[in-house]
Amino acid sequence: MTQTPQRFTRRSFLAGGAAVSVAGMLGGFPLLATGKEQVKLSFMYPVGVSGDINRIVSGMIAGFNAAHADIQVEAIYAGTYDNTEQKVMTSLGVGDPPGTWLPINSALQTFLVMDALEDLTVLARADDIYQDFLPGFLGTCISDDKLYGLPFQCSTPVLYYNKAAFERAGIRAAPTTWDELMSTAKALTVRQGSDVTQWGLTIGGGWHDWMFESYVRQNGLVPWTKDKVMLDAPEAVDALEFWLKMAQAGVMPTASTWQGSANDFMAGRTAMLYHSTGSMTNLRTSSPFPVGVAPMPKNKTFGAAMGGGPIHIAKKQPDAHKRACWAFARWMTNTANQSMWCKETGYLAARKSSWESAEMKTFVAEVPEARIALDQAEFAGAFLQVPGYHKVREYLKSALDRTLAGEIRPDVALREANANSNREIQRLLRRRS
Amino acid sequence: MLLPSLVFLALFTYWPILRSIWFSVHDVMLGSNEIFFLGLENYTRLLGDGLFWKSFANTAIYTVLTIPLSILCALLLAVALDTRLRGMAIYRSAFFYPVMIPSVAAGMVWVFLYAPGYGPINGAMAALGLPRLEWLYDSAWALPAIIVMSIWKYSGYFMLILLAALQLVPRDLYEAARLDGVSPLRQLIHITVPMISPTLYFVVVIGVLHSYQIFDYVFVMTQGGPADATNVLTYYIYQNAFQFQDIGYAAAVANCLLLFIIGLIGLVSLTLGRRVHYLGK
Amino acid sequence: MRPLLRKHWQHLVLFPLALLWLSPLLWIVVTSLKTRTEVFDPASGLLPRAAQWTNYPQALSIAPFDTYLLNSIFVTGGIILAQLVTITLAAYAFARLRFPGRNLVFGLFLLQIMFPIYATFLTNFVTVRELGLMNSLWALMVPFVASGYGTFMLRQAFRQVPTELADAARLDGCGHLSTLWHVYLPLVKPTLVAFAIISVVTHWNDYMWPLLVTNSESVRTLPIGLGLLAKADSGADWTRLMAATVVVVSPLLLLFVIFQRRFVDSFMHAGLK
Repeated sequence: MTQTPQRFTRRSFLAGGAAVSVAGMLGGFPLLATGKEQVKLSFMYPVGVSGDINRIVSGMIAGFNAAHADIQVEAIYAGTYDNTEQKVMTSLGVGDPPGTWLPINSALQTFLVMDALEDLTVLARADDIYQDFLPGFLGTCISDDKLYGLPFQCSTPVLYYNKAAFERAGIRAAPTTWDELMSTAKALTVRQGSDVTQWGLTIGGGWHDWMFESYVRQNGLVPWTKDKVMLDAPEAVDALEFWLKMAQAGVMPTASTWQGSANDFMAGRTAMLYHSTGSMTNLRTSSPFPVGVAPMPKNKTFGAAMGGGPIHIAKKQPDAHKRACWAFARWMTNTANQSMWCKETGYLAARKSSWESAEMKTFVAEVPEARIALDQAEFAGAFLQVPGYHKVREYLKSALDRTLAGEIRPDVALREANANSNREIQRLLRRRS
Repeated sequence: MLLPSLVFLALFTYWPILRSIWFSVHDVMLGSNEIFFLGLENYTRLLGDGLFWKSFANTAIYTVLTIPLSILCALLLAVALDTRLRGMAIYRSAFFYPVMIPSVAAGMVWVFLYAPGYGPINGAMAALGLPRLEWLYDSAWALPAIIVMSIWKYSGYFMLILLAALQLVPRDLYEAARLDGVSPLRQLIHITVPMISPTLYFVVVIGVLHSYQIFDYVFVMTQGGPADATNVLTYYIYQNAFQFQDIGYAAAVANCLLLFIIGLIGLVSLTLGRRVHYLGK
Repeated sequence: MRPLLRKHWQHLVLFPLALLWLSPLLWIVVTSLKTRTEVFDPASGLLPRAAQWTNYPQALSIAPFDTYLLNSIFVTGGIILAQLVTITLAAYAFARLRFPGRNLVFGLFLLQIMFPIYATFLTNFVTVRELGLMNSLWALMVPFVASGYGTFMLRQAFRQVPTELADAARLDGCGHLSTLWHVYLPLVKPTLVAFAIISVVTHWNDYMWPLLVTNSESVRTLPIGLGLLAKADSGADWTRLMAATVVVVSPLLLLFVIFQRRFVDSFMHAGLK
C-alpha cells in the first residue's frame, strides 16, 4: 500500500459520511433527534481481508455512530465466516441474537429455515435499493421475491495469472474458454525431471466447491434451487470430468488449501490461480511479479457463483431496533462506503452509483483489473443457497477431492454427494414443518 | 476439600455431559428451540456414516503413531541431555519452546514449511535425494504431516518430564553395567526404561489426553481435507455441532469418543499400568 | 579422536536436532522483518534486505493489543491461581484421605479431561449466560477453574510424600489444612510449577472459547488479535501475523528463559510418577 490512496480514502470517506446523513434525512426515517433513548445494537462480522484493512470497517462504524446520536452500534469481530455464523446461531438459540450480522450469502436459506431474518422488501421499495443495487448482487439476498439483507462485500472467483510466467512461456492473453485454459495450463506447467516446479493452474482449495459451482454455471446450470441440489446433473459431471482431465494431464495439483494456494501463487509455484476477488489487493501488492486478472474462462457460457456476504437484520427484535439496523445497513452499503471498500480490498461495490462516481472511475482507470470481476458479475448468481449449506459443501468438497485423488469416478462421487445432500436438506425442511 | 472442584466440575463438565447424553437421543438444532425425540436414531445413523468411521480411523492412527513416536523422540532427547553438558540450557529451550507457540501461529508456519514447491521441508528432502511430496495437498501425506508437526510441538514437554525421572535413576547401576560390558543401547533398554517406567506410563496417559490438540492443527491447516484425510473425531464433533447445526448428532459422536477414550485409558492401565506397578516396586 | 567423539557425541546428535527444532522460530522472526513481496519471492533470499521494524507497530495497531495483553495476563493468572487452590485441595483428599467411593469420584475428575471440549461449548455458553457472565473476563475463566488434569498430576506427587512426615505433623497438632500447607506443598512445589506451565500455555493460547463468549474489545485476549491477521478470506497477512506472533509468544518465552533453571529444576525434582 502506498501512502496516496490512503489519504485519498480518508477524505472521500468524510465526504461520503456527510452525503449520507443528508440522504438519510431525505429518506424520511424519523430516527434522528426524537429525544428517545439511545438504541444499542451489535453487528457481528468476519474480516474477509486481513490486517489493517479491518480498520476501515471500524472507521465506517465510528462514522455511523458519530452521525447518529440515538444509535450506538457495537462492532463485534467474530472470526471467519463460519465462526460468525456460529456465534450468531448460538445467540439465536438463547433468544438473544445480534441486531445485524454479516454471513456468507449461502447462509440465506439456512437462516430463513431458522426464521431469523427480517423481511426488508417494504423498506427497500421505499428507498433506492432496487434501482441502485446491481441486480445480480441484490439477487443474493432475495428469496421468493422478498429481500433479506443488503449486499456488503461481494466477490466472485477470478482467474489470477502471473504475467512474468506468461511472458516466459510466450503467452500473450489469458485463456477465455475451457479448451484454452487447458492448453494454456499445459504450456505453463514446468517440470524438472518428475517434479513439477510450476503448475499451470491451481484452484484455491477449501473453497473449491465454490469454484466448482462456477464451472457448473459455465455449463449452463445452476446446480441448486432453494430446497434441493442437482449435483449429479450432466453439466456438473462434465465439469468434474474436465477437472479430472486437467489433474490427470498434470497441469494442476489434485488438492490445495485456501491460504496455501495464495502462497503458491505469490511464490511462483503456480502460474494461474482461481481465488476470490477479495484477495485482489493482497495478491497484487504481495506478489514479486506483475499480476494479471481475468474473468473465469467460459464453456457453454460465462458464469460465476457469488461469494461474500450481505448484512442481515434479525427478525426477533423491537421495531425501533429494526429501524436502527436498517439505517446501519444502509450506511454500510451507501455509495461512498461501497466505493471505498471496493478500492481498498478488491470486493465489488454493490451499487451502480459507486461505479459511476468520479473516484471509482479514476480508480478503475488506474487498476483496470478491478473492473474484470464487475463485468463477470453480470453472469453471476448466488452460491449454494440451500438449507444446511455447510453440510452440502462438505459432501461436495469430499466428492471433488476423492475424484481428483483418483479414488472414485466423477459420476459416482457426485451421485453420492447429491443423495447425501438432498437427504440433509429434506431433514432440515421436515424439521421446520 | 473436594467441594470447590466439584462445584465447578458439576457446572462445566458433568452438566454438559448429562446434556450431551440427553441431546444425543434428540434432534437438536443450533439456533432453534424446537427439540424432537429421536430415540437411538443418531446412534444408528452413526453406524452407517462413512465419515464418522473415517474420522475414527484417523483419530486412532494419529493417536497410535503420535504418542509412541513423540515419547521415543522425547526419551532419546532426555537421555542425551541427562549429563552435565555445555549448552544444556540452550538445548532445553530449543526443544521446549514449541510448546509455547500458539497453535494458530504454529499451524500457519507449518503450512508454509510444508509448501510443496518452495517450502524448506521439500527443499531439504530434495537435497537428501528424497522425493518431493505434496504434503498437505496429498490425502496420503496430510495426516503424517500433521503427526510430524505434533511431534515437534509436544516432544519438548515429554522430554522435560522424562528428564526429571532420569535424574533419579541411581548412577551406580550404569557404572556396574558398564563394567560388565553392557552396550549403551542395552543399558537403555534394560536399565533406563524399567527404572523410569512409572513416568513413561504417566507420559503415555497425558499423551492420550494431549492428542485432542490435533483439533487446532486440523482447524488451521486443512479443515479436515483433502478428501477427509485429516478429519478427526474432535473436528467432526465441532463440524456437526457448529457448522451443520446438528447438536444431537454431535453429542452422539462425542459420547462415543468419550467411551473410546475411557476404554483406551482402561486398556493402558490394565496392561502397561499393571506391569509398571510390578516393576516400579 | 575416538575419546573426543565419545565425550561429545551428544553435541553431534543434539546440535543438528536443535537447529531443526529452532528453524520454525527462525522463520517466524525473519518473516516478521520482511516486506510483503519478499516473503514468497524465491529470488530475495533467506534474510530481508532491510529489516522492516515497522511491521511490529503496524501489526499492533490493528487491534488494541495492550488491552488484550492485560486481559490475557488477568485471565491466565486468574485461572492458574484458582486451579492451584482447587487441585491442591482435591489432590490431597484423593491422596491422603479415605472415604467411600474415592476411586469412583477420582474417575469422575478424569472425565473432565476425556470429554471433548467442543461438545461442552453449547451447554457452557448457556450456563455462562445464565450466570450473567457473558462478555466478561469471568466467562473466560470459570469453565477452567477445576482441573482434572492438575488433580491427577498432583495426586501422584502427594502420594510420594512419605506418610511419616505427615504423621509427625499431625502428632504436633496440625490440622489437615495446616499439614497440607507446611508439609505437602513445599515438597510438591515442582509439580505445581510443572502443571502451571502447561496450564498457562494452554489458556494463554485459547482461541475458540473466548471468540464465542466475548464481544467487546475490552474483554478480549491476545489470540483473537492473532486471528484477525490469520483467518482472512484473502490469505494471511504473513509479515504482520508473524510480528504479532513474536509479540504474543515473547512474554512466555521470556518467562521461560529467565526462570528456566527454576522451571527445569522443578521438573527435575518433581519426580512425576
